[in-house]
Amino acid sequence: MPVPVSAYLTVSAILFTIGTLGVIVRRNPLVMFMSIELMLNAVNLSFMAFAHFLNSVDGWMFIFLVLTVAAAEVVVGLAIIVSIFRSRHSINVDELNTLKG
Amino acid sequence: MLNLTPLILLFPLIGFVLLGLFGKRLPKALISLIGCGVVLLAFACAVADFVSMLGVSGAAQSSNITIFNWVTSGGLTIDFTLLSDPLSAVMLLIVTGVGFLIHVYSIGYMADDDGYWRFFSFLNLFIFAMTLLVAAGNFLFLLVGWAGVGLASFLLIGYWYTRPSAVAAARKAFVVNVIGDFGLMLAIFLLFKTFGTLNYSELLYNSQRWCPRGLECSFDQAARLAGFAGQSTMLAIALLLLVAAVAKSAQLPLHVWLPDAMEGPTPVSALIHAATMVTAGVYLVARAHSIFQAAPASLAVVAVIGGASALFAATIACVQTDIKRVLAYSTMSQLAYMFMGEAAGGFSGGIFHLTTHAYFKALLFMAAGAVIHALAGEQDMRKMGGLRHKLPLTFWCFVVGGLALAAVFPFDGFWSKDTILSSVLERATTSGDFGWYVLYAAGILTAALTGFYTFRLIFAVFLGEYRGPEIVPHGAEHAASAPASRPNGRNAARRDPLARVREVGAAMAVPMLILAALSIIGGFYDTPIKPWLNEFLVPSTGPAVELPNGSGLFWFSIVLSLAAALLGIGIAWARYGSRQPRFAPSRNPFVILLEHRYYVDDLYDRAIVRPIVALGRWLRRDVEGVALDGGTRGVGGLIGGASKGLRALQTGYVRNYALAIFTGAVLIVLYYVIRP
Repeated sequence: MPVPVSAYLTVSAILFTIGTLGVIVRRNPLVMFMSIELMLNAVNLSFMAFAHFLNSVDGWMFIFLVLTVAAAEVVVGLAIIVSIFRSRHSINVDELNTLKG
Repeated sequence: MLNLTPLILLFPLIGFVLLGLFGKRLPKALISLIGCGVVLLAFACAVADFVSMLGVSGAAQSSNITIFNWVTSGGLTIDFTLLSDPLSAVMLLIVTGVGFLIHVYSIGYMADDDGYWRFFSFLNLFIFAMTLLVAAGNFLFLLVGWAGVGLASFLLIGYWYTRPSAVAAARKAFVVNVIGDFGLMLAIFLLFKTFGTLNYSELLYNSQRWCPRGLECSFDQAARLAGFAGQSTMLAIALLLLVAAVAKSAQLPLHVWLPDAMEGPTPVSALIHAATMVTAGVYLVARAHSIFQAAPASLAVVAVIGGASALFAATIACVQTDIKRVLAYSTMSQLAYMFMGEAAGGFSGGIFHLTTHAYFKALLFMAAGAVIHALAGEQDMRKMGGLRHKLPLTFWCFVVGGLALAAVFPFDGFWSKDTILSSVLERATTSGDFGWYVLYAAGILTAALTGFYTFRLIFAVFLGEYRGPEIVPHGAEHAASAPASRPNGRNAARRDPLARVREVGAAMAVPMLILAALSIIGGFYDTPIKPWLNEFLVPSTGPAVELPNGSGLFWFSIVLSLAAALLGIGIAWARYGSRQPRFAPSRNPFVILLEHRYYVDDLYDRAIVRPIVALGRWLRRDVEGVALDGGTRGVGGLIGGASKGLRALQTGYVRNYALAIFTGAVLIVLYYVIRP
């Protein structure tokens, strides 16, 4: 029995929601990054599902794009985290509220 | 013909810039050299110009030099043009010549002053502005010079800027002068609107431009101007020019600044407030005589102002006790004479009196300065007396200046005052108008008053017994307070309070002697037998109006004015010369009125100054403070209050921003999902 497309999308939605909640509730930026990876991959999953069921390669193209961007983003993000840690000896995001109005 | 006018302007300007920028670091000798040297060079150029002008005649005497084009805008073209003609040549000679003597005098007078360089740079600035004023070839550069001398006068009156009275006097002079500047500016606007040009050569002297087309052209420039622009326009222009002249020359009703201007150093009073700047109004009326003649009613106004100011100032001078203020009021009175002569059509006579007045009034101020210097700053004649023996040179200079001021034969004031009175009487007899006879009577009465107040001053200062305290000269104060010299100083003081009074040094004495010589012989270049100056000035000021030589009225006028002057001197002798003068407060209401200067200052204070100050206070407190400041603060407070609420959104926590983005994304998706 072929797996229907709605199943893929359901999994994708669940992953995305978990990722979002992770970003919002966690205080450790490393974990927040992992959550963001989860959200990106949830989107990748839905792209893959649509590409497969519509017989189109467009979705695959987007998956590669997202993967590349995610890698670059992690590099930049980790660099920022390291430099913040060096200057403040802490990476608890709740303490990084100097932009408070 | 030689034309060195640009150099006459350039030298004092160089002096001003050099002294103003570097004067503080230069030694005093060099400052004196630069300050006086540049004026001497300018004077040499003025003499060269003048001599070369004597060699030619008629229209060739006038020449324009255009140095550069300043403004070209539509129909308006303003060039920096210098006009060299007999009138400007005479004025330049007086300004640079008397100016140079006063510079030399200042070397002695200001020797102990800390701001020596500042003083000389200001004096040079003044000479530059004044030469620009008299040499300008159009009305706009006249205005530049006009405002420039006002500025220099302001700086020099307030020269001792630590004295509140000097600062107040400087401000008063500046404000009143600006009223005049404003009048001149309006006159210039009106001239440009009417004629489309501001050049003297086109407006004031025989120019065919204003001839009516197709009609026969009148020879007279005044008639051409009146025909082109109409009587009422010419009257408005002339009266606006008169506002400027009256403010600069301290005539009624804008005279209030001149007596207060005596707060400045005495050389400044001699140069600016007697010899040169205050004569700018007389110069302007003579220069623009075509405009005034185009509207004869304006000359009547000049006559009324002149006659009223002459009597007004002469009467006040009779009760003043500050020697410089007496001279200040006499200046106002003598300037009024010049205006009277010009009103009667004797423009060259007005300029003649301007030149002789420059000699004797500068001399009188210098001599007064010598007295003040010798008495360590005392200016009150009630505390003087008996100075004849201590200051013989000053005494004789004062007497020469006084005789010239009182117009006694053969001193220069006699010739020039007689020319003016002769013009007025000639005008009275030819027109038959009662008003001119009244003006003549005012002139004769003023002549008597002049004799009185001048010799009251001389007798009170130089004759009789000394009435003041012991004199401790400037610079000797420290020596006197030193313990070693104390007994000596006290013993000497008991013997003679004037023991330490010394006659002036050479730097002050030589200019006084030169001016005394000029005051004696200066009148002979324009006598009824040989009216040389008059003939020289004809190209600039037009033919003079004077009584025919040798007629009965001619002798009558001479004898009458001389008798009036001698009568005044006689009364002064009776009251102040032959016995110890008394300065008890008088209960005579007329004297009290004079002592309060006719209450004009009080009237201006009540009617103008105080309402304006009150208005200013109200504007500051209620308009600026409540309305404007309140409005600005209200806007600021409103925005601040609004942002206080919004600020709560900006928590600084990443997760809140993420949640906001997420919520926004969800809302956008929801919109597309539930959209029908």
